[in-house]
Amino acid sequence: MEQARNYVCTECASAVPSGHKFCGACGAGVPPEAQTLETRFFGALQMPGKARLIVVRGDEAMGEGLSYLLQATEHVAGREADQIPFPSDNWLSPKHANFLYRGEKLVVRDEGSLNGVYIRVRGAAPIQIGDHFMCGQQLFRVDATPKDTSGPEADQTYFYSSPRRPSAFRVTQVLEGGMDGIVCCAHEQSVQVGREDCDINFPGDVYMSPRHARIEMSGESLELVDENSQNGTYVRIRGERELSHGDYLFLGRNLLRVEVTA
Amino acid sequence: MIVCSRCSKENQDHYKFCLGCGAELPRESSKPRSFTAPTPPGGTPSPARTTNAPQAQAGRAEAVASAPQLEQLEIDPTPVEAVRSKPVAVEDPLPPELAPLSDETSPCPHCGSDVPENFRFCHVCGHDLDAEAFGEAAGAALGDGPAERVSAPAVAEAPGAAVARARLVLIQPDGSEGEAFPLSGDPTLIGRSTGGIFANDAYLSPEHAEFRFESDQLVVKDMESLNGVYIRIEPDVPIELFDGSIFRVGQEILQFEGPVAPDSADDGTQHMGSPHQGYLGRISLVIGRDTTGNSHPIPPHGIHLGRERGDVVFHGDGYVSGLHCRVHSEVGHVFLTDVGSSNGTFVRVSNESYVPQGTFVLMGQQLFRAEY
Repeated sequence: MEQARNYVCTECASAVPSGHKFCGACGAGVPPEAQTLETRFFGALQMPGKARLIVVRGDEAMGEGLSYLLQATEHVAGREADQIPFPSDNWLSPKHANFLYRGEKLVVRDEGSLNGVYIRVRGAAPIQIGDHFMCGQQLFRVDATPKDTSGPEADQTYFYSSPRRPSAFRVTQVLEGGMDGIVCCAHEQSVQVGREDCDINFPGDVYMSPRHARIEMSGESLELVDENSQNGTYVRIRGERELSHGDYLFLGRNLLRVEVTA
Repeated sequence: MIVCSRCSKENQDHYKFCLGCGAELPRESSKPRSFTAPTPPGGTPSPARTTNAPQAQAGRAEAVASAPQLEQLEIDPTPVEAVRSKPVAVEDPLPPELAPLSDETSPCPHCGSDVPENFRFCHVCGHDLDAEAFGEAAGAALGDGPAERVSAPAVAEAPGAAVARARLVLIQPDGSEGEAFPLSGDPTLIGRSTGGIFANDAYLSPEHAEFRFESDQLVVKDMESLNGVYIRIEPDVPIELFDGSIFRVGQEILQFEGPVAPDSADDGTQHMGSPHQGYLGRISLVIGRDTTGNSHPIPPHGIHLGRERGDVVFHGDGYVSGLHCRVHSEVGHVFLTDVGSSNGTFVRVSNESYVPQGTFVLMGQQLFRAEY
């Protein structure tokens, strides 16, 4: 005794091979659910190619550990967003960022937010003048060296400035509220950031590693190098950025981890 | 490298105490250089030292043309050049831990302090020891050797000359006194255009500053000069800083920037950034017109500045003392206090300032002492 291996016609009890729409013996229709054998996921979280965001450190109101499944095509995050809301973080614009699929790829797009979207640097990343990056609790901007304005006046009086050292670029700390804090001009070809014994030191920042990151100039271009810091170094994205499994993002005070099921 | 004589541990050159056993280390290497009016970065664009005799003379002729009261200087036939003698210490009191070591001392005739033999001036009261020696040994010898320098002020005060109420005594790079410039007019304009010892200082504006008397107080007015007039502040006396205040520590020109009120976007979003710990403002290094280099925010408890110690250090500037000055807050205002530096902390005069007797004044590349 054995079980019939295929659909059995309810009219004539003949076996109907899978994929047939009608019974070959009696012509009766095969119900749609029997025509295609679809295996479903227990839950939407298992859906392949769909990503989710896990709030690692988050908005006080929303709590940590929350996860958002990205199963639509676009998902807006922001202070007043419906899909991924962070209502109590005033560092987020009302509509801050959008997580969307381009084909199979998940991307994040900065929706013209005030404070931007930061992604954790894997090893090293190119960086340009004007770009922002984060280490620990600190936010920085990479600036160009201003033009030398110490030349003589029309009346041949020379400007008396502090001793100047040639510097290729500078790193400026950006304070909460938008003011500039520490400015450090590069001595040689790099500026190092950390808790101690670096060019810019934050002994009081418990999220900063002793040697956290550095900006380095090689040739004409700048690179942001994470020095295997515990909490990572984040760089502000320009426009749109493709995401992959294991990426970390800062949106305002919220740290999100990206998980993409293969 | 200093090897500790007690425990033989090797210590870095700037250490004062042994890292191994805490014993005091020899201090030779920690002694700051004496103050000169240093050559500015980028070199000296034109000869500006008053020790250049022909130029000084030429300048003097101009000065006479525009200001007849300077005539008395002409009496001094001495080339200014011969002044350089032994290297000396600054004549303001050095903090004890910075005083150069010398085995042999002799008492200062003026204040009685024990002065190392190699000192040109008493390190406590500033008394000119060479003048004393020459005066006693051979009064007739005035006119050659190091004592020439003394003759200039002597002539300026000679009976019969129009007596200036005050004068600016040039402090030379080695710390000794140079020419004295009488402030005979009221007011007296000083600048490159007034010639004399000012003619060749490319860092002075043509019309730089004006000195005048208000009752018996000397007052200096900055004539909107490019580089300003700096006055040395008293140690341990706090001077209030305002947004844009400029001060000088060693060769460094520093600007105080007051706190900036945070702004937010129209939609209520705040600017994100590093934690703002109630900063009082920032100290920035001036490296050009409206251009600053390194900056440091000032936390509520204030910051110290120095060559070796403090929150902001200037390792490369030998004119900065180990610990030089501090910027701090009292009752909601921000102050600058010199903490006993060797070469002093100078504050740029904002429009006008009193110049107390004996105050050091920096103008252009040159350092003066106001006497009246």
